[in-house]
Amino acid sequence: MSRKKNLLGMLLVVPGVLFVVFFMLVPLFSLCLTSFFPQQSFSFSSYWGLFKDVYFQQVFMRSMRLSLLSTFVCALLGFPTAYYISKHSKHKGMMMAFAVFPMFTSPVIRSFSWMVILGKRGIVNNFLVAIGLFAKPQSLLYNEFSMTVGFVQLFLPQMILSLIGVMDNIPDDLTLAAGNLGAGRLRSFFEVVFPLSVSGLVTGSVLVFTGCMTAYTTPQLLGGADTRVLSTMVYQYAMSLRDWTQASVVAVVMIVVTMLVSSVFNTVSKKVNPIA
Amino acid sequence: MALLELSGITAGYDKNIILKDFNLSVEKGEFVSLLGSSGCGKTTCLRLIAGFSEPMAGTMTFDGKDYTHVPLHKRNFGFVFQSYALFPHLTVFDNVAFGLKMRKMDKETIRKEVMHMLEVVDLKGFENRFPREMSGGQRQRVALARALVIKPDLLMFDEPLSNLDAKLRVKMRVEIRRLQQELGFTAIYVTHDQEECFAISDKVAIMNKGVIEQMDTPSEIYNRPKTEFIARFVGFENFFDLERTGECTFKTKHGVTIRTEKDHAASATLKGCIRPGDVTVAPAGADLPNAISGKVMVSTFLGQHNQLNVATDIGEFVVSCDQTQVFPVGETVTLSLAANKIILID
Ligand SMILES: Nc1ncnc2c1ncn2[C@@H]1O[C@H](COP(=O)(O)OP(=O)(O)OP(=O)(O)O)[C@@H](O)[C@H]1O
Ligand SMILES: [Mg+2]
Repeated sequence: MSRKKNLLGMLLVVPGVLFVVFFMLVPLFSLCLTSFFPQQSFSFSSYWGLFKDVYFQQVFMRSMRLSLLSTFVCALLGFPTAYYISKHSKHKGMMMAFAVFPMFTSPVIRSFSWMVILGKRGIVNNFLVAIGLFAKPQSLLYNEFSMTVGFVQLFLPQMILSLIGVMDNIPDDLTLAAGNLGAGRLRSFFEVVFPLSVSGLVTGSVLVFTGCMTAYTTPQLLGGADTRVLSTMVYQYAMSLRDWTQASVVAVVMIVVTMLVSSVFNTVSKKVNPIA
Repeated sequence: MALLELSGITAGYDKNIILKDFNLSVEKGEFVSLLGSSGCGKTTCLRLIAGFSEPMAGTMTFDGKDYTHVPLHKRNFGFVFQSYALFPHLTVFDNVAFGLKMRKMDKETIRKEVMHMLEVVDLKGFENRFPREMSGGQRQRVALARALVIKPDLLMFDEPLSNLDAKLRVKMRVEIRRLQQELGFTAIYVTHDQEECFAISDKVAIMNKGVIEQMDTPSEIYNRPKTEFIARFVGFENFFDLERTGECTFKTKHGVTIRTEKDHAASATLKGCIRPGDVTVAPAGADLPNAISGKVMVSTFLGQHNQLNVATDIGEFVVSCDQTQVFPVGETVTLSLAANKIILID
């Protein structure tokens, strides 16, 4: 009986495992191989070459900066929103729908709408000029600012959803208990709600960070020629320059960095909430 | 003046009124239990006192001061949640220390107080565990320690023992009572368990549909219920209408004379009631005081004794009789109501 069950369980897992092995692990492995075999023999030379390249350093730093900043802004905006929706909203379903609504439109469309909004004749510029802050329209597009705006809007729903997920599991009795023991609202938020939400914050941050690092359309459409990031760089190497080795080196760097940053997030969360 | 006084409280959720013109007063050092059927508003009442919600009308005074709108974190009341509500991310030590930390005590004092309280609840050596690594009974004691260590002016318990097995329940309730007498705190205790409530309290308040029907000492409640609801609650099953004919003498609507030993009622028409165990069953025609004749309808074996349902002129009686007595269904019998066990309800 239990053996039969085991067999059945294994059969159910097989398609998924095969899919992951053939379409993810194998390509990933060959990607790594490519990056270490610039010529016929094994060598780190492509890596050294890349790391010493000032242009790459700039792009790398920009990617990190934009991704971290966007993650931070998403956390800052997402936390209160999620807290409100989870704990204080009377119309939770509707609020959730609003929060995730942007996910139903493609990143391309969303980037285009930002181009309209932030353009020289967009409402933001019109407004800034109208209130007399600037004499003539500013260029708000094709720079790190517009990219951050695009990233935040693109990934905020992920952050909010992850946070709501954990906040819904914090019993109201815990905040009441904290209050009963003498903690004011702010205090009980920081002593109870925040530490217990950290796991959601980490999940959300990993999603947002990874998303920002790997997003292609948004930086391509909202960034300019001098604001290249790692993902657009990979595209450039692979498609424009046909340099597959270099492209795979950058790709491997992206994977490693994403994994490192995720594990840093996790370590920090363990400090705040040891049982998470 | 009583320590805690609720007067004319109306409370509920949205449009749903649960407590209506609710009154309660608790003396300093008293252990009061709230007893009542599920959904009658016990938790609502406790949460109101704790300040988790505000009443729609009415006032609450504590120690002579108006507490109706005092925010919960300024009340210095302890609360033991039914779910324990321990902070899962904090160790046992930090859970217990939480209230003291909020009171900005210095580290050394906190450590001393917490360790002392953990000793009181017999949890020494557990201070570095997390709540999820503890058993239900241990968690309950942590919750108790956490509420006690702040030396609350009033301690509330919302069915704190309902998640425990019967044996541990008895042990913990003795423990709670011992701590209360030792530390002298005032307590309000909510429970479903009648035995638990009688064993632990100085006073019992029985709630029905959002009001307290009677609040008295356990023995008073048990022996002298004031309303039919209370009487049913504490095990009276036989009720009958009576008409007064004199001091301690009454007559049923079929003219049978009933004498009671004590007369603590005032009305001319009233209700009598008696527990199944206080009715003697005898063969038809037996010459007994307060005799009523009836016919056995159902006989149920209950281990210690048999339970008979007997149809009489004044309603159906539930009585219990000895195993040795055999009264087959359909037989006519005489019931004798013990004069000192009949309770009169106005
Ligand atoms: N959050 C809520 N929103 C709306 N109605 C509620 C809420 N909590 C309780 N009620 C209703 O209020 C009434 C009283 O609830 P309360 O929790 O005070 O009962 P209780 O006496 O504690 O019952 P129990 O013994 O089952 O715990 C119930 O009819 C319940 O349905
Ligand atoms: Mg309740």
